[in-house]
Amino acid sequence: MIRWIALASLSLALAACSRETTEAAPRSVIVLGVDGMDPQFLEAHWDALPNLDKLRREGGFERLGTTVPPQSPVAWSTVITGMDPGGTGIFDFIRRDPKTYMPLSSMAETTPPTHTLAIGPYTIPLSGGGVRTLRAGTAFWQLLSDAHIPSTIIRMPVNFPPVECEAQSLAGMGTPDMQGSFGTFTFFTNDPEEKRTQVAGGVVAHVKITNGRVVLPVDGPANGFRRDHAVVKAVLTAYIDPTAPAARFDIDGQEILLKQGEWSDWLTANFRLLPGIKTDTGIFRLYLQQVHPYLRLYMSPVNIDPDDPDLPISTPANYSRTLAQALGRYYTQGIPEESGAYREGFLTRAEYLEQSHKVLSDSLRMLKYQLDNFHGGLLFYYFSSIDQNSHMLWGKYDSDLLDIYRGVDKGVGEAMQKADRTGATLIVMSDHGFASFKRAVHLNTWLMREGFLTLDNPENTSDQAGFPHVDWSKTQAYAIGLNGIYVNQDGREGSGVVSPADKQALLDRIAQRLLALRDPKNGEQVVDRVYFPDKVFRGRNLKESPDLFVGFRRGYRASWQTALGAVPKDIIDDNTDAWIGDHCMATDEVPGSLLSNRRLVLADPHLYDIPATILKAFGVAKDREMIGHSVL
Amino acid sequence: MNVFNSVINSLLSAYSAMVSWAPAAAGFAVIAALTGVVMLLVFRKLSDQERIGAAKRKVQAHLLELRIFRDEPAVMWRAQGALMKHNLRYLGLMLQPALVLALPITLLLVHLDAFYGRAPLEIGQPAIVTLAMKRPLDPAAPAPQLIAPAGVAVETPAVRALDLREVSWRIRPLRRVSGKLQFIVNGRTVVKDIEAGPGARFVPGRRVSSAFEGLWHPDEPLIAAPGIEWIDIRHPDSSMRLFGVGMDWTVWFIVLAMIAGLLLKKPLRVTF
Repeated sequence: MIRWIALASLSLALAACSRETTEAAPRSVIVLGVDGMDPQFLEAHWDALPNLDKLRREGGFERLGTTVPPQSPVAWSTVITGMDPGGTGIFDFIRRDPKTYMPLSSMAETTPPTHTLAIGPYTIPLSGGGVRTLRAGTAFWQLLSDAHIPSTIIRMPVNFPPVECEAQSLAGMGTPDMQGSFGTFTFFTNDPEEKRTQVAGGVVAHVKITNGRVVLPVDGPANGFRRDHAVVKAVLTAYIDPTAPAARFDIDGQEILLKQGEWSDWLTANFRLLPGIKTDTGIFRLYLQQVHPYLRLYMSPVNIDPDDPDLPISTPANYSRTLAQALGRYYTQGIPEESGAYREGFLTRAEYLEQSHKVLSDSLRMLKYQLDNFHGGLLFYYFSSIDQNSHMLWGKYDSDLLDIYRGVDKGVGEAMQKADRTGATLIVMSDHGFASFKRAVHLNTWLMREGFLTLDNPENTSDQAGFPHVDWSKTQAYAIGLNGIYVNQDGREGSGVVSPADKQALLDRIAQRLLALRDPKNGEQVVDRVYFPDKVFRGRNLKESPDLFVGFRRGYRASWQTALGAVPKDIIDDNTDAWIGDHCMATDEVPGSLLSNRRLVLADPHLYDIPATILKAFGVAKDREMIGHSVL
Repeated sequence: MNVFNSVINSLLSAYSAMVSWAPAAAGFAVIAALTGVVMLLVFRKLSDQERIGAAKRKVQAHLLELRIFRDEPAVMWRAQGALMKHNLRYLGLMLQPALVLALPITLLLVHLDAFYGRAPLEIGQPAIVTLAMKRPLDPAAPAPQLIAPAGVAVETPAVRALDLREVSWRIRPLRRVSGKLQFIVNGRTVVKDIEAGPGARFVPGRRVSSAFEGLWHPDEPLIAAPGIEWIDIRHPDSSMRLFGVGMDWTVWFIVLAMIAGLLLKKPLRVTF
C-alpha cells in the first residue's frame, strides 16, 4: 500500500514538474530597429515622446556607436552579422566595378541564367540565374534558428533576398521594385510647361487625352523570356471628366475613382511575360494631383505584389502572402517613402508627408499584427519612417518630424505593453543619428584640383555621372559612393596607374590634404576624420572596400554627383535639394540611439553588440566572427 | 420578362426567408440537393430509360470483351468499334434531356447568383456605381445626379467616361443599408437597389433595360427610362464555405446536386 502511495505521489510530482515546464513563458526578446532615430532629437523631445521617455527611465538610454561609414546598409549589415564592415563586405549603398568604374548596388546582384533555350524572339532559361545578397557573414537569426528558437524578422535592411532558414522574415531596404530599381516613379502629364522626361528616381510620361480618355503605360520588369529583354507593360486607362475635378482609372478589371488631391489604394498590374504561361504581378498607388486644365498624375514605383511575389521577399516563401491576406497589400519596396518625387518637385511637402504618414500607419498596423501573434522567441521589427523623413525635414521642419517620431513612439508603447505582459526584453535601437546637410562636397572635383584626378579637358566639368571625361591614364584616385575614395590601382582598376607599393603614400597625402580642406564660403573645416579600412576594421573582407573613407563634419556631405562619379565645376556647393538632413559623415558625429526596458551595463555600446545581446538572451553561442558583447 | 423574373425571385426569396433561421450554407445545401433531385426526376421523365440502360449494358459488354480477348487482335478491333458506337449512342440518348435541362438550370443559377454569388457592400469600404447610357454623353450637358439613401456617402462627383458612355460615382456605406440609389438623368428618376452590411441576403446585380439582357440580369425590373442601358454596383464576390473549404458557389452547387443525384439514383430508379 505504501509503495502504491509513494508511486502515485511521484507520478503527481512528475506531472506537476512537466506542467510547469510547458507552461513557463518562453524567453522573449522584441527589438525595434528605428532607422535614423537620433539621440539628440530624442533628448530635446522627451516630453512629446512619452513611451520612449518611460522606456529610458525604466531601463536605459545610451548613444549607440555606428559604423564607418554611418550609412544604413553598412550599419544594418553589422547589426545582422555582428561583424564590422570589414567582415560584412558592405561599405556603402554603392560599390563600383573596378574594371569599368561604373556604380553598382552594394546590397544584392542579379545573375543571368547560365543555360537558355532560344525560340524565335523568346529565350527560355533552363538553369542558373537569380538574385543573391552580397553581404557576407551569418545572420544572428540563423543561429537562433539552428537552436530552434522561433524568430520573426520584419523588414530587416540588407536582407534581400532573405536569409534562408526557419525564421519568418520579410525583406526590407534593398528590396527592388518591379523594374529592379530602388524605386522608379512615373509622373503622367499633358502639361506643356513640363519639359522633363527623366529625373532622378523617376520618369515623366507626356500623354495625350482624346475624348477624355488617356492610355497610361505601366512599366513592369524587363522580360527575361525575350531576347531583347523588352520592358513588359500593363495598360492603365484613365477617363477624365470634362468638367469635374475627378477621374476614373481602369486596369486589369479593377476600377477606381479619384478626386483631385486623393491617393488611391493599391492597384494590381499584370505583366504578361509569356502570354498564357507566365505573368508577374505588381502593385502601385496613384495620386491625382490635378485634373484641369492639365492632368498631373503621380504613380508610385510598382512594388512586388506580396500576395504573389515573383522574387523571393520572405521566408517561408508564402509568408508575404500570409501577411497580405491578414493585413491587405503593403509596400514591399525597400524604401517606401516617396522622397524622390518630393525632391524633384512632383509632390509638395504636404503631399509627401501625407504619403509618409500612410507608410507609417501601415507599418504600425503590421507591428500590431506581429505583436498580437508573438508568442515567444525573437521579434525584430524595422521602421523606415524616421530616417526618410529626417532626410526631408531635419533642422527645418521639426514639428513635422516630431509627428513622425510620435508615430514611432506609439509603436514603442505597444511593444512595451506586450513586453510588460510577457516579461519580454525590449530593445529599441537605431543605426545612426542625423545632422543637417547644408553644403555638398564634390570629392572628384576636389581630387582634380589637388592633382589626383585628371580630365581629358579641364573645361569638361559637369554633373554627368560615370566619369565620362576622366583621363584614367593620368588619374591616381577617384570617388564614388557617399564616403569612399579609391586609388586607381594598377592590376585592380581597368586602367589603373598607381602601383600597390605607392598606394599608402598616396592615401596619406590625400588624407592630409582632406583634413586641411576649408570651406571657401566660411573657412570651416570640412572633413573631421579620414579612415583607412585596414586600421578601422577588424574584418579582412576588404575586396570591395574604398581605400579611404571621408568622415565629414556635421553640415557637410559628399554630393549626389560624387556618388555616381561626376566631376562638377566647384568643390563645394550649397545644398539646394529638398534632402536637407543626412548622416554620411564622420562616425562620431552621428551616433545611433539605444533604449531598453532592462538596465544597460555595457559602456560605449556599438551596433555589433546588438546581435551579441540577442544571442546571449537566448543562451545561444556567438559565431566566431562576431565581435560584440551583450549590452544587458 | 419582368413578371417571369419577379415570380422566380419571389419564390427564391420566400425560400430564403423560410430558411433564414439556419446558417446560409445549410439553406444553400438544401436547395442544391433539391435541384439535384428535381433534375433526376426530370431526367427520368424526359429520357428513354430503357434505351439508356441497353446502351450502358452494351458498353459494359464490349469493355468486358476487351479484357477477355486481349490476345485476339481481330476481336479487339471489332470490340473497339462497337464500344465507340454504343458510347456515342449513350451520349446521344443523354443529350436530349441534358439540353432540355440546361436552360432552366442556367436560369436558376443566374437567379441564385443574387443570393450566393454577390456579397453586400462592406461598411466603410468604397464601391463604384456606374450608369451606362445608350447614346454618347454630351460633355456640355449637366452630368446625371446620384442621390444615395441615408447611411451611404457619395464621395465623388459624377465622373463621365465619354468614350464608354458611362458615368461613375464612388460611394461608401457607413452602416447597414437596404435601400435604393436614385439617379436623375435628363429629368427622370431611376432607382437601383443597394445592399450593404453584414449578413448573406439577396444582393441584386446589374439593372438593365433590354429584355434579352434581363434574362441574365434578372434581379430588378427592366429600366423603363429611355436612354439608360444599365446601372451597376461593383459588389465584392462571395465565396461559399462548406466543410471548411471556400469555393465559388457554383462549384459547390454542382457538386452537391451531383451527390444528391448519385445517392438517389437507385431509390428513384433512374438510369444514367
